[in-house]
Amino acid sequence: MRSENGTLTPRGRLARREWTTAALLAPAYSWLTLAVFLPLGAMLFFSFLKAAPFGARPLQFTFDNYLAFVRRPYLIDVAWTSIQIGLWTTGLCALVGLPAAIALARATRGRSQQVLFLLIVLPFWTNGLVRVFSWTMVLREGGVLDYALHLVAPSAPSVALLYSFPAIIIGLVHAYLPYMILTCYLSAAAIDDAYIEAARSLGARTPMIFAKIVLPLSLPGLISGAILIFVPVIGSFMEPRILGGRVGVTMGTVIEDQFVQAFNWPLGAALSFTMLAVVLIIFGVSSRALSARFGAQ
Amino acid sequence: MTSRLSRRTFNALVSGVLGAGLLATYGSRRAGAATAEITVLNWKGYGTDEAFALKAFADATGIAVKHDYFNAEAEMLTKLRTNPGAYDVVLINSARTQQVQADGLIDAIDFAALSNAKDLAEPLRDHPNLQVDGKPYGVAWLWGMTSLAVRHGKVADAQSWAILSDPKYAGRLALFDDSITQVGIGALLTGQDINNPKDLKAITATLKAMKPNVKLMWSSEDEWNKAFAADAFDISDYWSGAAARSIKLHSLPLDFIVPKEGAIGWLDTLAVPSSSTKKGAALQFINYMIDPKFYVTWATQSGAPASTNTAAMNALPADDLSHKIYKPEDLAKLKFMSALSDDRRQAFNDVWDEVKAFYAK
Amino acid sequence: MIALGRTYLLATIAFLYLPIAVMVAMAFNDSALYTLPIEPSLRWFASLAVNAPLQLATRNSLLIASATSVIATAVGAMAALALERKRFRGRSLLRLLLLPPIAIPWLIVGTAMLVFFFWTGIGRGIHALLIGHVALAIPYVVLIVGAGLQTLRADLEEAAMSLGSTPIHAFFSITLPPLLPSVLAAALFAFAVSLDQFVISYFLSTPGVSTLPVEIYSSIRKGFTPEINAISTIFLGVSSALVLVFAQLSHLGGKRDSR
Repeated sequence: MRSENGTLTPRGRLARREWTTAALLAPAYSWLTLAVFLPLGAMLFFSFLKAAPFGARPLQFTFDNYLAFVRRPYLIDVAWTSIQIGLWTTGLCALVGLPAAIALARATRGRSQQVLFLLIVLPFWTNGLVRVFSWTMVLREGGVLDYALHLVAPSAPSVALLYSFPAIIIGLVHAYLPYMILTCYLSAAAIDDAYIEAARSLGARTPMIFAKIVLPLSLPGLISGAILIFVPVIGSFMEPRILGGRVGVTMGTVIEDQFVQAFNWPLGAALSFTMLAVVLIIFGVSSRALSARFGAQ
Repeated sequence: MTSRLSRRTFNALVSGVLGAGLLATYGSRRAGAATAEITVLNWKGYGTDEAFALKAFADATGIAVKHDYFNAEAEMLTKLRTNPGAYDVVLINSARTQQVQADGLIDAIDFAALSNAKDLAEPLRDHPNLQVDGKPYGVAWLWGMTSLAVRHGKVADAQSWAILSDPKYAGRLALFDDSITQVGIGALLTGQDINNPKDLKAITATLKAMKPNVKLMWSSEDEWNKAFAADAFDISDYWSGAAARSIKLHSLPLDFIVPKEGAIGWLDTLAVPSSSTKKGAALQFINYMIDPKFYVTWATQSGAPASTNTAAMNALPADDLSHKIYKPEDLAKLKFMSALSDDRRQAFNDVWDEVKAFYAK
Repeated sequence: MIALGRTYLLATIAFLYLPIAVMVAMAFNDSALYTLPIEPSLRWFASLAVNAPLQLATRNSLLIASATSVIATAVGAMAALALERKRFRGRSLLRLLLLPPIAIPWLIVGTAMLVFFFWTGIGRGIHALLIGHVALAIPYVVLIVGAGLQTLRADLEEAAMSLGSTPIHAFFSITLPPLLPSVLAAALFAFAVSLDQFVISYFLSTPGVSTLPVEIYSSIRKGFTPEINAISTIFLGVSSALVLVFAQLSHLGGKRDSR
């Protein structure tokens, strides 16, 4: 469909296009290089050392840090917990966020749409730590949720969700849901009304329209949202630590311990890069699976 | 295709955001500085940044005091290493002093410059942790302990750390999320030296046995207070200074107990970074920090760990809470933390991470 | 169906505001430890009024968040445009490179920045904070604007250009208007990322220059008071008021929004 930079385009124009591409990319990627890639490069270097190069200590290279999972088998359980947390959070965000985004895009319009959209973003202009502590108030025994339940059903058993796996998921879903709503909304809002009207005039019912038009066309948003959620959630440590209590042990908290308690930057860095590799592999596999599945359509 | 948010809205919002930013800069300049200014690196809310103290010190000496904070001892080291010249006074746990000194980050202290040092308790002032080649690399300032805190009226039989795995208190235990502390408690329970336990396996097993009781792991005084106030747990290991504040400031019903196996003692010092350019002013500030007048005001107003200054402890009112927490007979039961090598610290951390992973399963 | 959609949307928003409501309620609660039942009190607002460092920190945070939002949105949107619209070698690699800044925990990125900035002489301070915040916001902007771009048709721009329009003109007249919602959304999220960014601010700010998250993060060991809730409540109130005012204004002038 798109015309390639093909035979008819003059050479000069092609060169100019390349130049434009470079100019568009340069600011962002030089910024990232200076502030993230080079510092992380230093960390990558550290991860092959025995100890961080400070003071008069000699540099000692080792690959030991990358064998952490072999030396410490309990880390496999921890990594699995983190991946489960990531999958649950991403899945629930998609389940809750996609319909909300479609509702926002298709069932509201004009000013109310703008206001509702901004209302979804506003809560995130507050501090994350304060929000997490507020969740402890909601979820604990005798907390807001417990209280509300007993107003409705006085004889119900008390709900104490705090310090449990579901509490971690609730906190994380809350923290990341807006990203999913946002990216799905951007996709859903761009669906041309003409498609839907055409389908309707051909006799398609609402569920059919949803499954055949709205859902596939919202897919790019769903995927962007999933990346924006799954990736940081795997390394999260604040929500698991505060809401999870005993069960809140994740890769994020283990890495934090290496930096804060053991003061072993090399091991912490090696664990982070291992985690990054796992995340990249998961994305490589799933994007291949997705394009095989939907590429044909 | 229509845009959902018009360009006008966009412009209005961006200018609103920018306007807020510009407003923010307005008036953010501070009034002229005092004659000299020093920077202290410490935990936040740990004495040196008490408003009354900064005012009294500036009035007396004309020296203004700025602060930077750390949230973990490792962060203190990182900040000290990566900001030469930025700090003039730094708080260092005596267990870390030799490590910091070995990196050449701190200077030896000239006690002749400290008029208030004469009343420092000698065993603390001359503690071996602070000495390198016969020279002191820090001024012993405060000491305290990590011991057992239990809910008053609900737990009456707390005599031993063994209560942490007592089935009577299933699901009612909170633990400090800190490897050195937890390995230390494990060592006390298995009769080992907290600084050099030989049998880490036994410690791991002892800590794992607490699983049915463990409700949560806390990492800050604030978190502890909020969870205890919400009745989330009845038993926990806790800091003595924090216990004093929890009782005094928040009226929490807790008893602070030193079990028969003993408790983990710590000694905090004030030191002068070798890169400081204002060492004279730094020593003046340290001298003020060990002044009994400062300590008594701080301890009675908000609650503090114990002072190393005997005169300061004697100057506390007779009914002060500190007398109940720092009992003379408990002193003998304290095991002070000492320096740990990197390998040992990593081994302790591995024990604690393995135990936590077991709790989470 | 429309009514069902709206009800569902409102329920979702209610979920998002549940902890926010608690946060606001606790700002008016006398207890420093968030205990129930609530005893109404304005004492946290009163102590906030005389807490100059906290006010100053809030101002710094807003300033940095605004600057971050503007810079990251501009820079990130440009990159998104290139990544979505241009075809060139290494495109997927550049996409993948967006993941490390969000995948590696902030604590590690923050430590890495601190060490690297120390080695290279960039040092600490507002400039370092800004460098760090913008870098962390860029991937979010690229992904959000990119998601917006994917749903817009590229052929319109190409049609305009083949009709003799310059790329720049084609961009401003054809691409930008429908892209504005995603650009605006990206800016709002970049603002949120910066406001929430405590670890990096904490490592990179100079002593004495504080931001709100730094104030909060350095107090977590000792405890922060509901003054934080009070200031968040004020901030939220002002932002919501602004949102409503702007929505009103845009409605008066923006007829093209209504379908």
